[in-house]
Amino acid sequence: MDTREMRIQIENIDTLPTIPSILRKLLAVIDKPKISINEIGSFIANDPVLTSRVLKVINSPMYGFPGRISSLNQALILLGLNVVRGMLLGVSVFEAMQKTMVGLWEHSLGCAIASRIIATKKGMKEPEEVSIAGLLHDIGKVVMGLKFPEEYSLAISDAQNGQTFMLDAEKKQFNISHADAGGWIAHKWNFPQNLVEPIEYHHKPHLSKVVPLQTAIVHVADLLTRAAGFGFAGDNFVPAVHPFAWELLNLSEGDLKEIVSELEDSFGQAGDFMLSDD
Amino acid sequence: MELLKPGAKLAKPIVNDSGMILIGEGVELKDSHIARLQDMCISTVFVEGTTGPSKTTEEMLAELDERFRKTEGEPHMGTVKRIFKEYIEGMSS
Repeated sequence: MDTREMRIQIENIDTLPTIPSILRKLLAVIDKPKISINEIGSFIANDPVLTSRVLKVINSPMYGFPGRISSLNQALILLGLNVVRGMLLGVSVFEAMQKTMVGLWEHSLGCAIASRIIATKKGMKEPEEVSIAGLLHDIGKVVMGLKFPEEYSLAISDAQNGQTFMLDAEKKQFNISHADAGGWIAHKWNFPQNLVEPIEYHHKPHLSKVVPLQTAIVHVADLLTRAAGFGFAGDNFVPAVHPFAWELLNLSEGDLKEIVSELEDSFGQAGDFMLSDD
Repeated sequence: MELLKPGAKLAKPIVNDSGMILIGEGVELKDSHIARLQDMCISTVFVEGTTGPSKTTEEMLAELDERFRKTEGEPHMGTVKRIFKEYIEGMSS
């Protein structure tokens, strides 16, 4: 299959019978360009599973909120529309993530936490938006796993047996990577640029034009999460940091130490990272 | 599931798709249980007392070495690794 055909297949993923029903319903709602926070609120409130997942994520170390947030309205006001939209996508692909790759959800949540910590350290105004990019950065793996389950499993075993990076195993099997697939679907689903670029370029941060800082943060968050050995993203290796991202972030050794320590503490106290609905 | 060892105590009952309890809460798992669960493609179970750090510092450092095996020599990666190493060593002191 050539790249163009692959892109068409990936973009038509909404028609798959195996796509999670929450995601299908969600896509019908969030595609509206002018959805209000009330509409999103009642969409979530009508689904008890979704409500409990959203509250679980909000009260997880992904956000550093002090105290417990128990009301959906409070959550919507605190986080804002963009963040809630992205988070809904994340929680609605939770099962698919677990099915694609055991540990991918933890990896994604870990990367979201690391992204928030770095964004805060860099004094960014909306660290929560960066954390959503971290949560969704590997969405291409889910999409490839849903669309091409057999071939994707082959790539996973290939990475494991050959002790290679998942990224290389994907390219060998498909000629494209999860970053390409994720970028396509992010465009197709009209994600904002501050999500599209970190998803598409988290392995090539120097190509990010609109939000290079966010992309660099997700790139580094990804490798720190792997360095901490938290979750599983297809291989157990830490990828090299891209010099562009490293220089752009310009973190001192002291900064890095603080980030790593906060990150490890969050992972350690995580307790319930899973979204099991009981 | 791969981490499951005989003697682990179930923190939650194991239930199949139709809601039937296969093994009750509090049961100590035997080899035969684990093999059967694997046959049934059950991937995750909840067992008691698995939240504490169960690895030694040496084990954690060995795993860290393994994770950095491919990229340790790349620019800045030595620094990143050292910071994680110091964190792990600091946990035990």
